Amino acid sequence: MPYVIASACIDVNDKSCVEECPVDCIYEGERKSYINPKECIDCGACEPVCPVEAISQDRRVDPDDEQFVADNRAFFTEVLDGRDEPLGAPGGARKVGELGTDTPLVQGWA
Amino acid sequence: MSATGAASTGSTGRAVEVDILIVGAGPSGLYGAYYTGVRGLSCAVIDSLSEVGGQVTAMYPEKQIYDVAGFPAVSGRDLVRGLTAQAAQMDPTYLLGQEAQQLHRLDDGRLRVTTSNGTEVTCGALIVTGGIGTFTPRPLPAGEEFLGRGLEYFVPSSQEYVGRDVVIVGGGDSALDWALMLEPLASHVTLVHRREQFRAHSSSVEQVRASGVDMVVNAQVTALDGGPLLEKAEITVKGQEPYVVPCQRVVAALGFTANLGPMREWGIDLRDNRHLVVDSAMRTNLPGVFAAGDITDYDGKVRLISVGFGEVATAVNNAAVHIDPHAHVFPGHSTDLPHDVPVPA
Repeated sequence: MPYVIASACIDVNDKSCVEECPVDCIYEGERKSYINPKECIDCGACEPVCPVEAISQDRRVDPDDEQFVADNRAFFTEVLDGRDEPLGAPGGARKVGELGTDTPLVQGWA
Repeated sequence: MSATGAASTGSTGRAVEVDILIVGAGPSGLYGAYYTGVRGLSCAVIDSLSEVGGQVTAMYPEKQIYDVAGFPAVSGRDLVRGLTAQAAQMDPTYLLGQEAQQLHRLDDGRLRVTTSNGTEVTCGALIVTGGIGTFTPRPLPAGEEFLGRGLEYFVPSSQEYVGRDVVIVGGGDSALDWALMLEPLASHVTLVHRREQFRAHSSSVEQVRASGVDMVVNAQVTALDGGPLLEKAEITVKGQEPYVVPCQRVVAALGFTANLGPMREWGIDLRDNRHLVVDSAMRTNLPGVFAAGDITDYDGKVRLISVGFGEVATAVNNAAVHIDPHAHVFPGHSTDLPHDVPVPA
């Protein structure tokens, strides 16, 4: 039951969550950040520190934000704009740094 | 050996010989330590933390856990206490506060693990119950090369900071507590935090604001400079030009992350850079190296404490056969074996 970052993060991208995550599974995109569902250990340390309450468990995502469950996963399984291959599971955000790109859903978000 | 794990001498060059070395003293590792005794095998348990209990002790000792078989509800602390007491019957050797670093195979097929303390453990089989890996401080990206030459992740002794220009990086309780501790001793303290808001307790933030600590927010330390020792730190506030301050000491209090660490180099088949692939007998691709608990991966794997218990018993029983090919995978029932446990009334 990985945690998911939803729409409230877009264009805020505070990243307090990144500092809390014990397994470094929150990766920084351009307009928002993304939790890698394969690396998330469900500890929940990220959820309370988000200043805009963008994070929740995948089963508890607000109905309006449902699409972000698949989108958090897509960030790692799809080939993103400006990249040649999917991110996969790099083993820690620190290894890849700021990615400077987003999923199509987030790129097109008004 | 005390059950609380006060066994480690911390001396370099200590040689330990056991049948089974368990890497990781979380719930699965502790149960494995008990179970090796059921098989009449000797065991040592190593963990880079100085306390047993793994993720449970480190992250949620007070929390009630509802999905451990046999316990409608049990606190993390009580679960670890029970596991430790159960293991104590079998007198395991605890090697705490040291990290398993190198793995070698000896000519006779046994395995030897060298630890960060210089301890050498020789064993017939290895069971890795490493959970999410070893915790290491989150590094300061700019200036890692000054680690030990002015940059530290902890403040073990405030003496080192007397009369110095200190820069502390971080926004949590550790960073602010150290800022308050060092302010009266240091020549100057600058606290640099990436964002405007601090994660630390608001009372600590107020205290630091009221003190002589120079708080720089929306900023990062972008470079460290010096000769053999650290001399300067470059600070960049978001949207502004970087500036340099004299600095002989930096404390990077950026939290911890867990990863496999040196185990990544052992030649074990990994999945997603975080998990060890095992078969139904909990064997990895390396003969004599087994794994159990959260660290494993296989088709259908579910990461639960109760699942880890089953896996480590499977691993120990199969390791027993690896050590002695004439042994049976299934040893018989615990009720057949002598146990020194008081029977509940």
